[in-house]
Amino acid sequence: MTMKRLLRRISFLFLCVSFTQLAFSQTKVVTGTISDDKGAPVQGASVAVKGAKGGTTTDATGAFTLTVSANARALVISSVGYNQQEIGIPVDNKVSVTLVSSSQGLNDVIVIGYGTTRRKDATGSLTLVTAKDFNQGVITSPDQLLQNKVAGLEIVNNSGQPGSATTIRIRGNSNIRGNGNPLYVVDGVILDGRDARPSLNLGIGGFGQKPEDNPLLFIDPYSIQDITILKDASSTAIYGSRGANGVIVITTKKGSSSAVKLEANASVGFNVGYMKRFDILPYGTFVSALSKYNADTTAAKLNLGSKVDPMHDITQSNPIQNYQVSMSGGNENGKFRASFLASSTPGFIQNNNLDKYIATFNGGYKFLDKRLSIDFGLIQGHVTNNDVLTSNTAGSAGNLISAALQWNPTASYYNPDGSFRNLGNGTPNPLMLLKAYNDVSNINTTLANISASFKILPSLEYKFLYSVNQSDGSRNASVDGFVRGLAPLDGNGFGSVQNASLTSQVIDHLLTFTTSFSPDFHFTALGGFEYWKSNYSNNQAVAQTFDFNQSELSLIKAKYTDIMFDGKTQSPFQSFTDITTEVQSYFARVDFNFKDKYYLTGTFRADGSSKFGANNKYGYFPSAGFKWNIANEDFLKDNTLFSGLSFRATWGITGSQDFPSGSAIDQYSFTSYQHAAQVNAGNPDLKWEQTMQYDFGIDFSILNNRIHATVDYYNKNKTDILFQSTAIQPGPAATTWINLPGHLLNSGIEATVDASVVKTQNFSWDLAVNYATNNNKITEFYAPGTKTPLAINTGQINGQGVSGTLGQIITNNQPVDEFYLKPFKGYDQKGNQIVGDPGSETFAGNPNPTSLFGIATTLRYKKLSLSLNGGGSAGFKIYNNTATSVTNIAGIANGRNIDENAYKSAEQPSSGVAASTRFLEDGTYFKLRNASLTYNIGNVGNYIKNLNVYVSGTNLFVLTGFSGFDPEVNIDKNNNGYPSTSIEYIPYPTPRSVQVGVNFAL
Amino acid sequence: MRISKYFKLSAMLTLVALAGCTKLDESYTSTVSADQAASALGANGVGLLLGSAYADLITPFVSDQGAIFSLEENSTDESLVPTRGGDWDDNGVWRVVHNHTWNADHSQVLSVYNDLNKLNFDATNVLAFKPSKEQAAEARFLRAYALYYLLDLYNQFPFRNPGDNLLNAPKVYKGPEAIQFIIDELTAILPDLGAGNSNTQANPSSAKALLMNCYLNRGAFNNRQSPTFDDADMQQVITLGTSIISSGKYTFANKYFSNFNRTNGNSPELIWAFPSSSGLTVNNPSVNTRWMMGFHYNEWVGQAPNAGWNGFSTTGDFYKSFGASGQTIDYSLNDTLVDTRIGRRRLSDSLTTALSGIRPGFLVGQQYGPDGTPLKDRKGNPLSFDPTIAPTMIETGNNLEVTGIRVAKYVPDFSVENGDKYYSSNPGNWFVFYRYPEVLLMVAEAYLRQATPNPTAAMALVNTLRTARGAVPVTSLALVNPTNVDDPNTMLAERGRELYWESVRRTDLIRYGVFLTPWDYKTTDDPKYLVFPVPNQALAVNPNLTQNPGY
Repeated sequence: MTMKRLLRRISFLFLCVSFTQLAFSQTKVVTGTISDDKGAPVQGASVAVKGAKGGTTTDATGAFTLTVSANARALVISSVGYNQQEIGIPVDNKVSVTLVSSSQGLNDVIVIGYGTTRRKDATGSLTLVTAKDFNQGVITSPDQLLQNKVAGLEIVNNSGQPGSATTIRIRGNSNIRGNGNPLYVVDGVILDGRDARPSLNLGIGGFGQKPEDNPLLFIDPYSIQDITILKDASSTAIYGSRGANGVIVITTKKGSSSAVKLEANASVGFNVGYMKRFDILPYGTFVSALSKYNADTTAAKLNLGSKVDPMHDITQSNPIQNYQVSMSGGNENGKFRASFLASSTPGFIQNNNLDKYIATFNGGYKFLDKRLSIDFGLIQGHVTNNDVLTSNTAGSAGNLISAALQWNPTASYYNPDGSFRNLGNGTPNPLMLLKAYNDVSNINTTLANISASFKILPSLEYKFLYSVNQSDGSRNASVDGFVRGLAPLDGNGFGSVQNASLTSQVIDHLLTFTTSFSPDFHFTALGGFEYWKSNYSNNQAVAQTFDFNQSELSLIKAKYTDIMFDGKTQSPFQSFTDITTEVQSYFARVDFNFKDKYYLTGTFRADGSSKFGANNKYGYFPSAGFKWNIANEDFLKDNTLFSGLSFRATWGITGSQDFPSGSAIDQYSFTSYQHAAQVNAGNPDLKWEQTMQYDFGIDFSILNNRIHATVDYYNKNKTDILFQSTAIQPGPAATTWINLPGHLLNSGIEATVDASVVKTQNFSWDLAVNYATNNNKITEFYAPGTKTPLAINTGQINGQGVSGTLGQIITNNQPVDEFYLKPFKGYDQKGNQIVGDPGSETFAGNPNPTSLFGIATTLRYKKLSLSLNGGGSAGFKIYNNTATSVTNIAGIANGRNIDENAYKSAEQPSSGVAASTRFLEDGTYFKLRNASLTYNIGNVGNYIKNLNVYVSGTNLFVLTGFSGFDPEVNIDKNNNGYPSTSIEYIPYPTPRSVQVGVNFAL
Repeated sequence: MRISKYFKLSAMLTLVALAGCTKLDESYTSTVSADQAASALGANGVGLLLGSAYADLITPFVSDQGAIFSLEENSTDESLVPTRGGDWDDNGVWRVVHNHTWNADHSQVLSVYNDLNKLNFDATNVLAFKPSKEQAAEARFLRAYALYYLLDLYNQFPFRNPGDNLLNAPKVYKGPEAIQFIIDELTAILPDLGAGNSNTQANPSSAKALLMNCYLNRGAFNNRQSPTFDDADMQQVITLGTSIISSGKYTFANKYFSNFNRTNGNSPELIWAFPSSSGLTVNNPSVNTRWMMGFHYNEWVGQAPNAGWNGFSTTGDFYKSFGASGQTIDYSLNDTLVDTRIGRRRLSDSLTTALSGIRPGFLVGQQYGPDGTPLKDRKGNPLSFDPTIAPTMIETGNNLEVTGIRVAKYVPDFSVENGDKYYSSNPGNWFVFYRYPEVLLMVAEAYLRQATPNPTAAMALVNTLRTARGAVPVTSLALVNPTNVDDPNTMLAERGRELYWESVRRTDLIRYGVFLTPWDYKTTDDPKYLVFPVPNQALAVNPNLTQNPGY
């Protein structure tokens, strides 16, 4: 280097310094507001001077103040979910910018497995749903935010009870065993998928198995920033032996680098009626029915002279309340967010209430010149569930809904002395069941994680993550002894105290390397190690026959579960600890990007699991994905039609290890009090279930990004099916776990269109629709080592007269859980239904929807906006088990209310009960999930910013031909662990709800 | 420089990763391995395993009315379950057992097979854990009991030696080899069973009784369509039975139904039974299913309309088989003494009357409450049981709740001192496997079947029993009337009167060669129904099993 050049450089440096000083002395202050195309302020938008460093972000009102050099000419404004925009700085230094939402958000950062990517760089089939697109209205669990939002994602609320479990299927029903739910990942932490609410099977008095609740209740739905659904194998294979059912990645809201702000929202609502009633006879028709069937005789008076509506009398209208406050803020070296949610969601049935208190706290701080980042997150949720007597498998009497459906509408509920009337016709008094049944569970869940990322080099980052997810649940359930008509509980009573605990832990080591071989050729590589373990334990004490609360006229406040020692019949205390599951994994991902035109992604994971048999400890899961971004090709540079066009092709193998720990080894245990026996015959060859999936997709945008569309074809082939095969007798159990070399195929097409139909200053109309098809079939489903097709009967049909009946079959060349029923052949001359003989069962219909659709639209006029979200399923059947055995015509002879369809038919009360195709109904439906009308008042006074008020309706209507409460139903009617699909049986009804709410920032 | 940095780093990370490595072995918690079971449970371990084998008797034999009871009784003239409007259709599962149209997918055929093999397995497992001689003998007795029923029902049984690999298909015994195997087992263990064993344990008399079953039925098991009986077998029956009779351990109870009420543990007739006590929740055999399955919903006012499940009934023809020796029997219940075993209207030898009005025995005609009030069914009609059942076993008439004679053989446990708590769960009744009278009747039958029949000796035994039951002695005794299974004047009928609803009827009818004859609601038959099919599910996984002919 010559002296001359050195001098030149030094002088240049001085020049720069003096120029900067000059700039400091000559600055101007630009202020402005940023709003979206609906006129709502955009918070956290980044505002920067074009071509210069530094900048600021907008506050809750969308306002910003930025000091810029006097000669700055333009600002660049960007925000997640909006197209980046440049605006010149006007002379008055005041700007007002309306951002256009990019419905496709190509620059959005999407969370993928163990990392992030920009949406435009993603090769896999994944869908990001951000908070602004979530479902609104009464939301109790995070999965409800997504219903009908994503093509190919089916989310079924199993019943209308707040907090009920959901059945989630990504790209079709792919489980012959287990629950088939996707893997949940919250802020990088793999969840166990279970929760610590003890399950309850009363097993006496006709009561059956209580429905399970939703394991995600501890997550505050209002603190979720976005949810990514990973659908194809290129996206999910990095999760290896747990990725086969798809992955749902939840990211919670984080603080932003801006001044501390406080946000609040509050809402109050009411359940205002049944979304749809079950068609039993109204009072007047019931009275006519008594005479039509000569049921009201002098010997047995069945018209009892009163008039009641039990389905109304068991309901309540307590307010649904949600209150949430959050505080967040930070600077460029650190940020935090803390929020607190208190919500109370009364069910539509009396005494039923779901209370949630959830604190969410997270932060991230940078050290060592930002080379070291420490991030932490803490979710602490407390959920109290006051349950009522619903049940999946109740017999003739043990269910509140069946009691209310059947109760004689001419019978008053009380005797003259105020005690509960017992009609003695096999239907217990519904109000008595409400009063006698107590079931309270409390679950405390902590999800804590801390991670440290260190930039070893600018291109190389090491990350360590540790997380613990601890959930403790207790459940006290009792039935007071004054209950009548429920032997053997009458005059005895029952109490059960249960506790459960679930602990899972994760340790991750990740190394990410990013480099550019040339300006056009980018490369990213990820390598990682993960250790995950989970353990579940529970215990239970049961007592029967108590001294107190034997009469409803002299009750004391204590529950049996408060004084279990009073129970004369004490069952031995039981406790159980699951064998700990450990999963140890090594994984890697490489991404190549050439000129933003050609993308290649490859992943590989090796998963070792303690559950697998000794001969198969490790499974290997590869995937590859390719994307061709055609829009960036020269030959499309000048086209005016496509603003974006790309083609994707991916392939990969994922696994499932959804079977109980300990299945691969011999186990001895205490089978009952003071008895021990072998309980499992180990299978050392047991391994994961394997799913190979390929996917072809096209993404395109037209009309200057006004319309975006994505179309995918997918094909999944599951083999080595985890299966409980008949054990070879004599053996310790009837079944044993094996990998069955059959195939379960799911294929279909998914299409999503987002359109900005109208976009003007005062009026806009956005529309998003999605549609997916699914073809589901089992092939080569043979008994092990043979070519004899297997036929697994499942789908318990419950109730009086149909014990032991199974309505579905899992067999070769049929969809999973195909209905398998005897044909219904009308009525004979005496009005008895004619049903095929035993053995005449035929394949009667598919319980799995063959198409799913969703629609979301927002209409805005100035500050008023209306958004509607709905969707449904088509091409499937639902079995109405309620009509089969609860509201069947035989009941009228004993003064029980019956089905309107039966009343209108030629059937007579002597007709037998049988499961048949008669009760198989078309399940196709469209449901308007929610509609919200929001008025953006804006800033009020000096403090309140961005005030919105809204009114919102949930489950406003459903269009369907199904005669039950709700075609969106999936009562768990599994048989020996083989799941069922689309059977309705006296479910908790779905209410229609209305809410008003307000939100604002300070 | 850069490369060595990467190298160091990757070495470091490898170390971290390796440090996190586990062997992924599952560590036992609530359960243990076989080795741990052997060592950790110590001296009590074998007893705990033996306890499981005893508890395996509950489901197939006692608590589940759809198990052994259904296959051995509903398949005969003694029991059936008519479909009553909305009740008891259950996909036709009960009707096909009674009218002999079952197949290899029948759920009860499968569950009984699995339940009996669970007992087979758990009993065998005891032998792998160094049992005492006495414990081994008890386990082998229990296993022999399971094998006897498997052979009786399915004509074959799978067998594993202790410690066999459970993923391999086991050997299957069939035909003459099978019955000989059971006989050899019982003969071998007889000397090891403690003479002082209680009647709730395997004991020498129970082993002898089972051995008598084997010898008596060998001719039928080897050829069910036309049984022939070997004289040597009959002599074995007589010798074994005589040794039980002459032991002096057993005598007749004063009242027949005290063999079945809540204090039946005291009965001097019990040879082997499953114990219980009122209110006991652990390992309670749940005998209550035996009365609940037949009782009408309103049978007992204290628990109406959940006093019963209104299912199981008996046939009118079987009821008539109580009219022995010239006595005629109708359904009018004039309270003239025919035989205490039939039961009598509102007369009770139990604690029942004062609390319920339910009398033990056969329930026919009007039923009464504790204060004598006539009971009504759920439609308000008189609760009066009608012997006539619809030929299709599908009741659709106005009287569908009351058709069929009901049976209260086990007497409901009202446990007076505790109130009315154990009527429908946790009753104190013991479940009876073997009673003294069965031994007498087997010996008497052997006298009739031996090479040179000895009717005098047979009648002497039968008449001791009849006298104890308040019935008149018989003066002649045929084995069977091939044209009328319910002819009262036969040895078969005497067995029916004493042992009805004790799960021996199907075996009896086969041994007496009349199982294929028509009776109420079964008009035709096929010889294949002399045995049940091997369940298809079992057949699919064990190639050593062979399906029985015709299925």
